[in-house]
Amino acid sequence: MSEGSDSPVSRRKFLKKISQGAAAVATGGVAGGAMHAAAIQSSADTGKQGKVQYGMLIDLRRCIGCQACTVACKAEADVPMGVTRSWVEYAEKGLYPNVGRSFLPRLCNQCSEPHCVRVCPTGATYKRPQDGIVVVDQGVCIGCLYCAQACPYDMRYLNPVTRFADKCDLCIHRVAKGLVPSCVNTCQGRARIFGDVNDPTSEIHKLIARNPVSVIRETYGTQPNVYYIGLDTTDENTKKPGQYVRVTTNKAKSKKRT
Amino acid sequence: MEHHLMWHWPVIGYLFLAGLGAGAIAVSGIVVLWDPAGEFRHRAELVARLGAFIGPLPVIIGTALLIFELGRPYRALNLLTSNFWFMLFNPSPMNWGSWFILLFFIFATVYALTFLPWKALLRGERGERLAARSERWRSPMAVICVPLAIAMAIYTAILLAAVPARPLWHTPVLWLLFTVSAISTGLSAIILVQRFMFRKPGAVRGAVRREDPAFRVTEYYLVSMKVILIIAELVVIGLFIMFAHMTINSSKFAVQTLLPGGEMATAFWVGVILVGLLLPAFIEGFYLLRTAVLGHEFEWPYVINVSAPIAILFGGVMLRYVIVVGGQITGPIGI
Ligand code: SF4
Ligand code: SF4
Repeated sequence: MSEGSDSPVSRRKFLKKISQGAAAVATGGVAGGAMHAAAIQSSADTGKQGKVQYGMLIDLRRCIGCQACTVACKAEADVPMGVTRSWVEYAEKGLYPNVGRSFLPRLCNQCSEPHCVRVCPTGATYKRPQDGIVVVDQGVCIGCLYCAQACPYDMRYLNPVTRFADKCDLCIHRVAKGLVPSCVNTCQGRARIFGDVNDPTSEIHKLIARNPVSVIRETYGTQPNVYYIGLDTTDENTKKPGQYVRVTTNKAKSKKRT
Repeated sequence: MEHHLMWHWPVIGYLFLAGLGAGAIAVSGIVVLWDPAGEFRHRAELVARLGAFIGPLPVIIGTALLIFELGRPYRALNLLTSNFWFMLFNPSPMNWGSWFILLFFIFATVYALTFLPWKALLRGERGERLAARSERWRSPMAVICVPLAIAMAIYTAILLAAVPARPLWHTPVLWLLFTVSAISTGLSAIILVQRFMFRKPGAVRGAVRREDPAFRVTEYYLVSMKVILIIAELVVIGLFIMFAHMTINSSKFAVQTLLPGGEMATAFWVGVILVGLLLPAFIEGFYLLRTAVLGHEFEWPYVINVSAPIAILFGGVMLRYVIVVGGQITGPIGI
């Protein structure tokens, strides 16, 4: 479209935006109002920035593989036997004497493009607009597990007690009261940092900006919101020639998905 | 080590039965539409009728299986009701699929009703009227049912293919594979029922010999169609494996579960390829060629006659089994 042809429309849009901004300033009252208005504008533009998006940064250099988070999660969310919301994977790599063991805490990535939400046939699972947490509406879910098939991170399970799909919800009940999730609370090495990744003043935002972070399986395009420092994604299937790799997951009795 | 499977036999059965029903209706509708007033339809009327009667049954059984597989069976209606406007624009294949099933079941049932012998069922004027109405409605219903049936068959594959996290499923070849298999299993079901029905007294012992030559001609057409479908399916399976190999990465790793040495290799090579495709292709191909090349009459021993379609149906189940289970025991490579 040329500039001339759409100018009436864009002028109208512009005026509308101005008035929205003005309203926000007026209601905001304090100096933050202007910033708020800017946030509204940018969120209208990108659809992502400026929204609250809770996420986690896990500094793998600090993780000691103690599984305290796994246990805390089990207790906090009353996760039944046999299933897990959050766990720590062990990866053994190298050949004697140059061997190492690294730890990889896993949890739902609260993806910005969650595939689990795309496939859900009932709308039971959705991304909460207010904080970006992906939840399962227990009143709607039919337990078809399509979401569990679709998650590239294997983060969903059928709750054997309630019979609906279940997953990590970043301890929504704690977060709503201003607390951090239970796994973050309990972490001995302070490897887990929780916060709003879109808030420039938050610790997590600053750490993400200043560190070489990576996410798991980025190529799936799910845009995870759980970031890692020092992530090594090598597993048995992607090891380099001569390398010894063994990964132990939460599934003690069954094979890891190859 | 055991595997962690989230979808098992009910889903496998559902995918197979939905494909079978869709295939039967598609074949029946195509026969009806082929030549609405002509010779072929008169001869093949039985095929159209059987297809129409077979069609809705497996679909409803398969759906019931799936519903009882759900973690929360009594909530199944949420598929259709939880939020109408959301549903309408919801891209979830399972949601679209449940609408397809509903529509398919309704239309296929109406279509099947047009084949009932109304005159024999209801005496007097009502029977006459319904028979006349059935005649009028049959072709329009077939026009609706054929595309719906094909959509159903494709949907059973899209349900799986829509999931990038399962590299074995996430391939554009899967719908072709499932659609060809659906039509070939539907056709086999028709042929099988037809053969059971025509094991008549008066036939030579141990052989099907319906005196009406039209019957043999129809059989000949049907069986040739089936052999062509088998060959097509073999080609598509080749494509399926080739595509995964060309895609490399996780897809290549995933398809290795089907190749020799893989965990699903026996089920795949023996169940799907050997019993489900090669065996019936050789049996039926032999008798077809005997007629086509040597000019013999098209007839064969009853046991062989019945075992070929059974083998194809078995192969259809195994195909769904191999794909559904193989897709779940493989996954993205790398952490
Ligand atoms: S990690 Fe899996 S379950 Fe969590 S939001 Fe992403 S796709 Fe959904
Ligand atoms: S199991 Fe529940 S949340 Fe998951 S796709 Fe099915 S209805 Fe949606």
